[in-house]
Amino acid sequence: MTAVETGIANAVVKPNAGEVSDPAYLKIRNVIYQSSGIYYPDEKLYLLASRCARRMRVLKANTPAEYLEHLTVREKRDEELRLLLNEITIGETYMFRSTAQLEALRNVIFPQMLEAKSARGFKRLHMWSAGCSTGEEPYTLAMFLLEESTKLLAGCTFDILATDLNDNSLEVAKAGIFGEYALHNTTEQLRKKYFKPHDDKRLQVRDQLKSLIRFDRVNLLDDGKMTALKGMDLIFCCNVLIYFDLSSKRKVIEHFYSNLLPGGYLFLGHAESLYKVDDRFRLVHFPKVIAYWKPPADCAGRGKP
Amino acid sequence: MNMLEKILPKIEALDAMPTIPVIIQPLVSLLRCPSEQVDLEKVVEMVAYDSTLTAQCLRMANSPLFGRRNTETVRSAVLALGLKRVEGILLGCCLNRMIPPDKWVLDALTFWRHSLGCALVSSRMARLIRYPDPEKAYLAGLLHDLGILVNTLTCTEDFRKCIQAAREKQVELHGSEQEHLGFTHCQSGKILAERWHFSADVTEVIEFHHNVAAAPSTPALVSLVHLSDLLCRLRDLGYGYYEAASVDLAGDEAWNILADHCPALANIDLARLTMDIDGAMDEIVAAVDAVFTPQQVAAP
Repeated sequence: MTAVETGIANAVVKPNAGEVSDPAYLKIRNVIYQSSGIYYPDEKLYLLASRCARRMRVLKANTPAEYLEHLTVREKRDEELRLLLNEITIGETYMFRSTAQLEALRNVIFPQMLEAKSARGFKRLHMWSAGCSTGEEPYTLAMFLLEESTKLLAGCTFDILATDLNDNSLEVAKAGIFGEYALHNTTEQLRKKYFKPHDDKRLQVRDQLKSLIRFDRVNLLDDGKMTALKGMDLIFCCNVLIYFDLSSKRKVIEHFYSNLLPGGYLFLGHAESLYKVDDRFRLVHFPKVIAYWKPPADCAGRGKP
Repeated sequence: MNMLEKILPKIEALDAMPTIPVIIQPLVSLLRCPSEQVDLEKVVEMVAYDSTLTAQCLRMANSPLFGRRNTETVRSAVLALGLKRVEGILLGCCLNRMIPPDKWVLDALTFWRHSLGCALVSSRMARLIRYPDPEKAYLAGLLHDLGILVNTLTCTEDFRKCIQAAREKQVELHGSEQEHLGFTHCQSGKILAERWHFSADVTEVIEFHHNVAAAPSTPALVSLVHLSDLLCRLRDLGYGYYEAASVDLAGDEAWNILADHCPALANIDLARLTMDIDGAMDEIVAAVDAVFTPQQVAAP
């Protein structure tokens, strides 16, 4: 899936509460949550309603209840769910989207990991952007790492693996040419440092940034390839699992668990949950963001019944 | 205990402060009757005596947080909110009236955002884990930091230093209080709670929310509020003096204590609860701003 090139997708007018009071929206919310793990709290139902509204126009469905039928009983319901999820995740990728994630890395996770790694004598960090789409996430990470490389991460080496199933997305990612939407949250200083002009509207990433990232095509359900990936400190998998059914989700999470080193973290999309998918990862709260943590062997059972 | 003994007379004096309207004592007694004995019409009548209290109940009842809109009468507001929330608003009003606007060490809105956030999270979590009294959890969450107001009133300047030190050193407030004052907001809050005849379990939450394992008789309620307090502070509803950098809630001792009393905790969808809190954040801020803006409180 590709990000839209404008910010229009996010400009949703908050309607009166009456407009989302239709109980069908609560059912649609449950359908989405149970299938994808994406959750809309009561106060954000208006966002869900606006996402549905676009699909309803296409389908000429007049009421939320009628649209619910498209999602649950009609023949093409799986297809429709996928299209709705596409609507929901539109505009989800741009550089520096999740600053809370980066703050968690800077303030907690990296210091914690470096302490553990220093004890063992070498400081190398392996990161994986699983489902990197057109590359915004791995390039953001690469900039963040380079910026920290003289400070927090002095003396460390690091690399980023960026994978996707979609060849077209990977080609865009490798080319590293981005427009205003992808860069709207990137400071002028970082743009100058890590990008060069491409044409009058777009910028291209410099090789210094690219050289940190290895792009590869990986199907997350490919057991052979997934088993071969080991020793990760961090995995980022944003809005990818939402398209998988429960058993596939479990399989991928199982792989992620063994891909990660003990003490490693898995980050999902900001509204995604692993509830009932996995009970080995531990949910950890950071300021304004949550992550799933693989506990080191010595405290694996702590706190869980 | 020296410092604590020093402020004791001040706390006792709070009882007699003239800023507490005469009507409040009977109203509090009324609200604390067993719910089946409460004379609702009497409550409505007494709330209606006080214009600030009336305004605050109406605003709160009309907030999307409580799912009500267009509540126009005191009666429907009291019904929409429930007696425990009315009691919370009442006590909040009292406390606000006691503190002159220039004396606040923590900004009043910051304080009430955290308190209301904690109240809402406590009651939502209580419902999720089938804790028997979600309304009690709401009230305990709202009042758990009562001692911060006591310290603000009784030792303003020393308390200001505690907050500054906590912010600068990034340590928790109760540690900083212990160092600079010799007592914590848990202890001073407990004293006022007893003076004002708060129920024993709410008093226990006030005293033990930073020392959960020591709670003698209602460890589940204390743990519940402790966890909600942590969650709020990580979701941008803290005081800015110390935000734990990361929290593994399920690894917290309070989690295990609560799980012993409420087995449903083991199956709680923590990610979803967190998203609920995030979703309600704007509304919490708006509700507190509407209900507790200083102008509203300064003119009883």
